[in-house]
Amino acid sequence: MSAHSLELLYLLVRKDLKVRYKSSVLGYLWALANPFAFALVYWVAFKYIMRVQMENYSLYLITGIFPWVWLSSGITQATRSYQNNASLVKKVRIPRAILPLSSVAQEMAHFLFALPVIVGFLMFAGGFELRASWLWQLPLLLAVQLAFVYPIALVFAVGNVYVHDIEHLVGLAFAMLFFLTPMVYPISMVPEGLRRWFELNPLHALMDSWRGVFLSGTLDGGKLGYAVACAALFGAVAWLCYRRFAPRIGEVL
Amino acid sequence: MIERSPWQLLEFLYLLARMELKARYKGRFLGYLGAVGLIFALAFVFWIAFKVIMGLDLPNYSVYLVAGLFPWAWMSMGVVSASRSFVANAGLIKEMGIAHAILPLSNVVQEMMHFALALPLIVAWVAIPGDYPPTWSWLWQIPLLMALQLVFVYPLALAAALANAYVRDIEYWLGIGFVLLFFATPMVYPVSMVPEGLARYFELNPFHALMECWRTVFIESRFDATHAAYAAAFAAVEGVVVWFLYRRFAPRVGEVV
Amino acid sequence: MTAALECRDLWKSYSSKRVGLKTLLLRPEVARTSRYARRWALQGVSFKVSRGQGFGVLGANGMGKTTLLSVLLGIVQPDRGSVSVQGRVASLLELGAGFHPELSGRDNVFLYGSILGMRLHEVEERYHAIVEFSELGDAVEEPLRTYSNGMVTRLGFSLIAHAPADVFLIDEVLAVGDARFQEKCRRHLQEFRKRNGTLVIVSHDMEALAEVCDEGIRLEMGEVTDAGPIGDVVRRYQRP
Repeated sequence: MSAHSLELLYLLVRKDLKVRYKSSVLGYLWALANPFAFALVYWVAFKYIMRVQMENYSLYLITGIFPWVWLSSGITQATRSYQNNASLVKKVRIPRAILPLSSVAQEMAHFLFALPVIVGFLMFAGGFELRASWLWQLPLLLAVQLAFVYPIALVFAVGNVYVHDIEHLVGLAFAMLFFLTPMVYPISMVPEGLRRWFELNPLHALMDSWRGVFLSGTLDGGKLGYAVACAALFGAVAWLCYRRFAPRIGEVL
Repeated sequence: MIERSPWQLLEFLYLLARMELKARYKGRFLGYLGAVGLIFALAFVFWIAFKVIMGLDLPNYSVYLVAGLFPWAWMSMGVVSASRSFVANAGLIKEMGIAHAILPLSNVVQEMMHFALALPLIVAWVAIPGDYPPTWSWLWQIPLLMALQLVFVYPLALAAALANAYVRDIEYWLGIGFVLLFFATPMVYPVSMVPEGLARYFELNPFHALMECWRTVFIESRFDATHAAYAAAFAAVEGVVVWFLYRRFAPRVGEVV
Repeated sequence: MTAALECRDLWKSYSSKRVGLKTLLLRPEVARTSRYARRWALQGVSFKVSRGQGFGVLGANGMGKTTLLSVLLGIVQPDRGSVSVQGRVASLLELGAGFHPELSGRDNVFLYGSILGMRLHEVEERYHAIVEFSELGDAVEEPLRTYSNGMVTRLGFSLIAHAPADVFLIDEVLAVGDARFQEKCRRHLQEFRKRNGTLVIVSHDMEALAEVCDEGIRLEMGEVTDAGPIGDVVRRYQRP
């Protein structure tokens, strides 16, 4: 990616963030309010009503939901990125791969804003301590997740130009995945027979890695390796898909 | 303003809804089925997550889920898409002087059409296991509930469209709000599981009242008059409040959109 | 002769700054003061148009012409003054507002017709005439996004032209299509007037205005700076 493309990316993300928070009362807090609100509702619903037995359930939720929101919102927003910027795509020569990346980067920016708060929550609500290992684990996971999410975002964005149904499916698909990647219950609750399938889910590998890092400072090499392998696979598919279908976006939009 | 007779208004509404659906599915029937199928898939996922994994104990949980998910989808998708309707049709509003109120109604009607299409499948889903056979009473209960839901949802949709025209973020808040509401209105667990202290608040939730009505029709073939009356009362209050909001804010929509 | 359309002392202003939710909640007094630059789009505009008359509005861009039409249509409320219009109104203000790109020309005719206030059977009755006038041929079955700008206007104009209306309000759309099509449109409008239809047109095309209208005004900064027979107004506008 050239220097010019990176600048463009930076400008696009900045513009979107500015536009989004201009008429919003909460501003920075918004990035946090959203996932926190979810965590709160799930906490009440699953701890008190469904009686999920788990120590530090609120922390389990928080450390998983924030990376999840980055992933799902990033992809959901990216899916419409070409339609939302149709005039840009049709009239100006820009590297088209940038647009979905800008959506993903935006959500990553939100996640980064939230990091200090997550850490704060861990320390004050959970009595956890700061860990030195985070200094390399967090950036590593950030990079892995970015490499994982971007190809998917790209494929969906390009695909949605041709098949509009994708944008309607994505929202529901993530809602479903949310419950199938154990996000609100620990994988230990899954009966033996099914557990194998759950472990095959690369999203689980990724989200569990985040929880592992935050809660115990451990990074499971196996899970991480699996996530990286999947990211590589998605990357290859996305590259092929992009080469084949991206050039004609301008005509179809 | 363009004058319209009631018949013309109805025709217009019908055309708007139909054309939007036509454009969305490009006449492919499979597209329709796909949308319906997705909701069944969602019900399946909840079933796995809550019954199989979390061990939620409720007889015929799948029926409980399906009977609630479809009306819920109609409502939430109707309101969320309606919130975009003024902004998305800025041209129509600014240039054609169209009566704004009809746009969100078209969104709600579209989703109602999805629901109507799904009904035979829902009925089959409920009836086939055999525990909850369909009865003739469904023939009047279902249309009655549909009318109630329409009256309940439309003011919300109109308010959402008005709000979103002035504050563009509303669309985003709404999507999230509905997800939160989904868990706060027992949709995936029965209200009986809610501990004593909280149960009172859940009962106050008008959305809960409406969804309970649907479930009692499908599961017990009974029309839950109390909950229906509560929902209707709430709809009436909504109607009045939104009418005032509309009078105050609608005229300037053309300028902010 | 009854006035088909009358404006009495219209004033309309726009404030140029958008108020955000934050400002609205935290500093309401700011939202209400005139710290926001108010632009007067219309200042004391008055005129009368009789039935069967063609009325032209001239002026450079940004001088208030579109605002005037919006007020006439009732889309925008004037700050002061009043408008009265007798009879059914059809307008063609923006190219294809209301057209749905994914739908075919045919579907769009029905949809747009309904937007204009026509009953389904009214559109049915006129469908063939509309398609013929637009000269689209088989393309009418294709999705609108495949049409050129010219095709879209021809369809739009054709629909308006056949709509059962007593008053036409048209903004700048006479200029699309080749010379022959434009001539066809002008003739159609003239015939419309002969049938006692009323016309209000905003256009840069002096020739068209002169052919189709008989009276007119000139708008400058929202004020009426000239009025009278269209020929005279045009001539005075063209003389620098």
